[in-house]
Amino acid sequence: MRNASVLILSDEPEFARLLTACWQAERHAPGITVLSSDLWKDHEATPHDLVVVGPVLESKLPGILQSLEPAAAVILCVPAESRELGQLRTRYPRLVHIPLREDWAQTLLLVAGESLRRAEALRLSKQAERRAAKNEHQATLGRYMMDMKHSVNNALTSMLGNAELLLLEPGQLSSQSLAQIKTIHSMALRINEVMQRFSSLSSEMREAENASQAETETEPASPGSRR
Amino acid sequence: MHLWSAEKYGVMSMLLKKVLIVDDSPSQVKLIQGFLEHEGYRLVGINDPERVEEAIALERPSVILLDVVMPKRNGFQVCRELKNHVDYNAIPVILVTSKNTESDRFWGQQQGADGYVTKPFTREELLRAVRRFA
Repeated sequence: MRNASVLILSDEPEFARLLTACWQAERHAPGITVLSSDLWKDHEATPHDLVVVGPVLESKLPGILQSLEPAAAVILCVPAESRELGQLRTRYPRLVHIPLREDWAQTLLLVAGESLRRAEALRLSKQAERRAAKNEHQATLGRYMMDMKHSVNNALTSMLGNAELLLLEPGQLSSQSLAQIKTIHSMALRINEVMQRFSSLSSEMREAENASQAETETEPASPGSRR
Repeated sequence: MHLWSAEKYGVMSMLLKKVLIVDDSPSQVKLIQGFLEHEGYRLVGINDPERVEEAIALERPSVILLDVVMPKRNGFQVCRELKNHVDYNAIPVILVTSKNTESDRFWGQQQGADGYVTKPFTREELLRAVRRFA
């Protein structure tokens, strides 16, 4: 899992210290930012995978909750009445309330782990969607290029072929016509060369990449690393 | 009456090799005819790939020049079906196409094609491919 980011908002240093210590004992600890409610306003623009709201000054709590994105994953770890929680859940569908009981830290870590996994899954899913859209775009472009290549090659076949047919019997043509047909023929050949360069562009790029890779791999080792 | 009959076309017509050209573009058919008629081939061109079998039954060509990118039925399909046909599988098929990648060529071989000419082609390239079979 990519390093997830967690924001702990609390005015009680002990709450943040205990939670951070518990998290750091885990195998996959997220990146943790701890802020007091006074500093929150300056920091609110930075997105986090999870926001844990611990005990804060009572007057600050509504402001903090107001400033959170409705889609944010929030764990509320403050005393709250069930009516209040109901209202909050309407605004924040991903809000979870953990009462400050004896085992709050363990419960919070479990819930936070799930929340972070969900955030990671969402991130991967969005990434996959973006990749799929990009691939679709490239596939459309590729199909368009193939169609164009087919049309250009057909047109070139007619141009080159008919010029060649006329040049088979040069005696029937005036010198000026002959020169013009030769020009058409040579220009069509040039277009054909350009088309072939386009066709081989991807393989040329692949070869250049392989050559560069091979060069990197065969570079002499530094003196210190010689056996 | 059979089109091959000497009574109708004379002995010379039976000696000349016949080439069936299948391409949805009339100008391409005409061009190939222009290239080959100087070489003494008898030429039959069709633009509808769905009428290939009918043309073969009627004309009995020595070799078929077959475009690949065509509406309704592409040249790979036509080639595969001819090569699976007990009466027609011995007729050499040369794919004449703008599809010029290695994988296209390989796929053409997989369909049983006997030759492969990429567009745009020169007269010499076309003649070299046809002369292998007719």
